Amino acid sequence: MSVFQYISDNWDLIGPQIVTHLEIVAECVAITSVIGLALGIAAARSEPLSTVIMAITSTILTVPSFALFGLLSIWFGVANPPVIIGLILYGLLPVTRNTRAGIKTVDPAVVESARGMGMNPRQVLLKVELPLAVPIILGGIRQATVMIVAIATVGAAVGVNDLGQTILSAINRSTGTIDAVLAGIIPVAAIGILADLILAGIQRALSRGRVSVAAT
Amino acid sequence: MIRFDRVVKRYGTSVAVDHLSLEIKSGETVILVGPSGCGKTTSLKMINRLIEPTEGTISIDDRDTRTYDVNDLRRSIGYVIQQVGLFPHQTVADNIATVPRLLGWTKQRTQARVEELLDLIALPASDYAKRLPAELSGGERQRVGVARALGADPNILLMDEPFGAIDPIARERLQNELLRLQSVVRKTIVFVTHDIDEAVKLGDRVALLSRGGVLEQFTTPEELLAHPQSAFVTGFLGEGPLVRRLALIPIAEVELTAHNGAAPETSVDLDGTLRDALDAVLRSPDGRARVINGGETVGIVDADVIRAASMRSR
Repeated sequence: MSVFQYISDNWDLIGPQIVTHLEIVAECVAITSVIGLALGIAAARSEPLSTVIMAITSTILTVPSFALFGLLSIWFGVANPPVIIGLILYGLLPVTRNTRAGIKTVDPAVVESARGMGMNPRQVLLKVELPLAVPIILGGIRQATVMIVAIATVGAAVGVNDLGQTILSAINRSTGTIDAVLAGIIPVAAIGILADLILAGIQRALSRGRVSVAAT
Repeated sequence: MIRFDRVVKRYGTSVAVDHLSLEIKSGETVILVGPSGCGKTTSLKMINRLIEPTEGTISIDDRDTRTYDVNDLRRSIGYVIQQVGLFPHQTVADNIATVPRLLGWTKQRTQARVEELLDLIALPASDYAKRLPAELSGGERQRVGVARALGADPNILLMDEPFGAIDPIARERLQNELLRLQSVVRKTIVFVTHDIDEAVKLGDRVALLSRGGVLEQFTTPEELLAHPQSAFVTGFLGEGPLVRRLALIPIAEVELTAHNGAAPETSVDLDGTLRDALDAVLRSPDGRARVINGGETVGIVDADVIRAASMRSR
């Protein structure tokens, strides 16, 4: 297993890269979740707003990451800031889309009975709609997380010292390329899989009773 | 008391409710019944302002409902819908506690109320309090829906086709349970249905609406069946209104033939209605049936007795 040999030989480089990678992912997922949730709620409330929000968040995802990071570095300098902003923008679509869908799929009878019992719009949202939409919203956050873990590697191109650096420097070498590339890829994959499993666990735990109970 | 004063609801050019005026007394059960498109559900939802009237006034105890904060108004009125709409992520107990919590009741008071209500609907708290709605039968869900509507002990209960999606046997049980419940809690109930039999069975008074929200007749079930006021009412009542009306006359109120010796084989309980009596008479080989009360024969019923009773109560 020369890959793991390579990782352990270069631990003083790769170790800090893993930490940076995790930091960036955590920060981006947290922020994109908050913004995506807000946009998703707005989109669920207003159809015209939904069209605009979905168009913008979808379009962002079609911009190649290399180009987006490069573009953002014009205003935000090099290294972490443009990459963090870019990754937040990428994460918006899955979170926003799923938040909207989650709220929209709540049984109208449940919402009507909540209103009929005297819940104000904020209470309907916080006590009924969002709790019921949680499994679907978390599905969106999972997608965003896996995507951010992977795309973060491209940040190395604008100077972020994350696992992308190991891959980038390996590509520029003439010998031992495979081991060096895998030394970057394997930790990235491990982070992605681990984060997904943790979120899937949370999703399952919070899905209690959320299976749609048809009235009849 | 709930008063509709020339209430109109228009959607664009179509009229859903047309100058509806009626008065519902405290503690009575009024059934709004009619074909689809007659504005019965719209009328119901205007009481708790889920729908706002275009014209006219609805007042509760002489206070215009528009002068209330809309959420305060709704918290003071129980609301039950056909699809029940229980919160699927909350236990039965949490569902029933919804309005008490919105009103800021203490934990102890809320919990005591939840247990009292589960007791009232005959679902033991020890077994049902912690269940999720998905773990209940359709009938149980609807009972929990009624308990939830009674959460903060409102004076008024609005019920929108609550038993419409339930199979006939469970529906009859729920209807009987509602009658029993109402004899205990004495709420002002406004109940929407398209089923005239349900209306006649449950209502103290029945408001029959025709398409476009026109009030055709508003009276007691007995009077409605005996004296329909228009061709529309007659048509809506359908076949055999007099036979239906028999179900409203308790045998105990009927003058029976004296019991002398030769007792017929078939019997009917004194607690039943004339409809049960008619059934027993039809089953009997000699067209007569014993009326029994706790094993004692208290009289004889036959076709003449039923006919006389039916004529008299008209």
